[in-house]
Amino acid sequence: MQPVLRATDISKSFGAVRALEKARLTVQRGEIHALLGANGCGKSTLCKIIAGTVGCDAGEVLIDGAPAALGSPRLAEEQGVALFYQELSLVPQLSVGDNVFLGREPRNALGFTDRAAIFRETEALIARVATVAGAGLTPDALVADLSPDQRQLTEILKVLARKPKIIIFDEATATLDRRQVEVFFDILRELRAGGVSSIFISHRMDEVFAIADRITVMRNGQTVAEFSAAETDRYAVVYAMVGETGAIAASVRDHAPLKGDARLVVEGVKAARLGPVSFTAQRGEILGLGGLQGQGQKALLSGLFGAEPFAAGRVTLDGVDVTARRPAEAIAHRIAYVSGDRGRDSALPGRSIFENTAIASLVRERRHVIPGALFRTRFAEVLSGLNTRYAGLDAPIGSLSGGNQQKVFISRWLSPSPGLLLLDDPTKGIDLGAKGDFYLLARKLADEGATVIIYSSEDSELLSLCDRVLVLNGGTVTADLTGERLTPFELTRASYGDAA
Amino acid sequence: MTGLRKFGGRTWIVTAAALIVLLVVNTVLQKNFLEPSVVQSNLTTFLPLVLVAIGQTYVILGGDIDLSVGAIVALVNVVTVSVIAALGGDGTAVALGLLVGMAVGAGCGLLNGLIIAGLRFQPIVTTFATSIVFSGLALWVLPQAGMSVPEPYWRTYAGDILGLPTVYAIYVVAFLIAAFLAARPFMTRLKAAGGLRTAAYQTGLRLGALRVSAFVLSGLFAAFASLCLTGETASGDPLMGQSLAMTAISAVVLGGTALSGGVGGTLGSVLGAWVVGMIGSVIFFAGLPFEYQTLVQGLIILAALAGGVLVTRR
Repeated sequence: MQPVLRATDISKSFGAVRALEKARLTVQRGEIHALLGANGCGKSTLCKIIAGTVGCDAGEVLIDGAPAALGSPRLAEEQGVALFYQELSLVPQLSVGDNVFLGREPRNALGFTDRAAIFRETEALIARVATVAGAGLTPDALVADLSPDQRQLTEILKVLARKPKIIIFDEATATLDRRQVEVFFDILRELRAGGVSSIFISHRMDEVFAIADRITVMRNGQTVAEFSAAETDRYAVVYAMVGETGAIAASVRDHAPLKGDARLVVEGVKAARLGPVSFTAQRGEILGLGGLQGQGQKALLSGLFGAEPFAAGRVTLDGVDVTARRPAEAIAHRIAYVSGDRGRDSALPGRSIFENTAIASLVRERRHVIPGALFRTRFAEVLSGLNTRYAGLDAPIGSLSGGNQQKVFISRWLSPSPGLLLLDDPTKGIDLGAKGDFYLLARKLADEGATVIIYSSEDSELLSLCDRVLVLNGGTVTADLTGERLTPFELTRASYGDAA
Repeated sequence: MTGLRKFGGRTWIVTAAALIVLLVVNTVLQKNFLEPSVVQSNLTTFLPLVLVAIGQTYVILGGDIDLSVGAIVALVNVVTVSVIAALGGDGTAVALGLLVGMAVGAGCGLLNGLIIAGLRFQPIVTTFATSIVFSGLALWVLPQAGMSVPEPYWRTYAGDILGLPTVYAIYVVAFLIAAFLAARPFMTRLKAAGGLRTAAYQTGLRLGALRVSAFVLSGLFAAFASLCLTGETASGDPLMGQSLAMTAISAVVLGGTALSGGVGGTLGSVLGAWVVGMIGSVIFFAGLPFEYQTLVQGLIILAALAGGVLVTRR
């Protein structure tokens, strides 16, 4: 039978990073097809190419056997492909009905918007999820007034209203509760019965095996395996995700569990889509936060730093309450935070290296006048220890490479050295050499007595650097991996919520 | 704050209430305020502002801003007057002059739109720059105020069409255009484009075309305003309408359209324009010195902006 979608030899690079390398995906008419893989395997990029939001460098996409031109979301939609957006595509200022029919409004004979039809058809769509929609999900309600799960339902209705042949659901169940997921699955099955194909991306292995007919697994930008869901099991799927070497290889470091008392105690912290999470960490420990992207790791780090304070829970460090309501409080307790999003969270663009380094010391030491000579000697020492190449402390921050910039941003927190260092995907977009330096520095700080918590979107980084990894899935900790259990296989398995 | 939200985006109700208060105050201050001739004279005075505000609403709903409308008013005025004069000033000349004027307005809007939506320039900076260009062109076309328009032009403007005062007929036509557009999918899509651009793009809307259309509408309505002003002054003036851009923006904001885009409508802007006009009138008839008018108007715009921020922030 002719597959409804056949993507072959799809390659795509972002700068020097190769996101896809001859990836392929075949979806039959009227099937639910799960697309799985670890972080950075390219599954989201492949979906975006099929949905027309990202162009591809090479390869071919056939829809019903005919080559498809997918230059923009509009073109893809004309060919029957609809993408459910994880980052929602709803306009908050418009009503539910206006959003559902945006761009394809029903019109009357005179070409005017047929408001009655929008209301009627939206009401009919809402009726399909009526049992779990909750109060206030009406055609006239403003999207801005809806709760997150209602927005997600609206987004699903918007996709359905387009009556596509192929729907890509990228984490469509992320904010839905169990009952809502069941209703969503019923809708998927109805669609399947009507000949519509769904591509389903989820971080929950349970869901994959509950709904999918077939499974495609990707690794490092390539398609590595295709399964029929009925004829395989979780073990085989996870094995395909990490590959032979990943399953066998012992971890790179000797992960002897640390002996000692907990000094960082996190108790029942909660934030939007996070928690409750409780854990402890020791002096000299590098604790990793693993899991698929967007499972609450960043929320946990920014909560600890007070940038987005926790709604509940308590954090103590060396017996002192350090639950932070804003970053200044965290800084006062020698908590440091380095973000991978340098442009947004770290850089004072256009200012000098000196100013970019001094900023944290000024806050921490409550200085009103910059002690130029003192700071200069201090920073020159710190930076030389970091193996940083720079023209001079007065050179603008933008003159440095990403890796060297990141070293400057970490050096902000090194004098005096931090008690708790939070690293939020810190090596994103920096070159291999600088990454190596960065790992060494993190290890050195830990050896000097700091506790380091690092979130990384690269599993290999966590495996080589961390003493212990907490795996998050849907905002809760699903596994606490140390020693012999700290392997790619266990990490990937736990990432999909499949605890041992 | 939350109470205001319950109007469901219909903040123009608040504006309408303010307008009613101003009407009552004005009626008390000015005994003959409700006489038909006085009503017509007031509405004539407010008409150019109402038209510019309607046009500006589309641009602001789309998430942009157009500072060049005042300059467009001046350019349309001098071009229309020059074309009518050059063609001899008979009926055909006037008709052609009007058409050329509208084309100039739409063309200016198109240029703004193409630079902003096509080349992705900042709207506030771009329209400020093009306003200087348009003003310069106006001065080049007609270096000094003067050159009167033929008598039938201003007589018709001050008189009647089919038994209805011309000014009212223009109001009706403007409202019909606004109502026509409001009932089209265009309006919802424009609000989407101004509300959340990424969402509108992902939904497959043609953002560029929507934003350019909004600027063309703004230019066209500025041309309408200019032709009305020309009917009032009966002459060419390269410095005409200079304060209109800012006043119109304040009218739009007073009418409940969010400067951030996506929320609002033309009805509110019309009410907002009347409110702005009435404030001047009230202050004048209250016997306060003229110099207070600008100060009070500024304070009211500030209050309106603050109110808008409070309403949108929860």
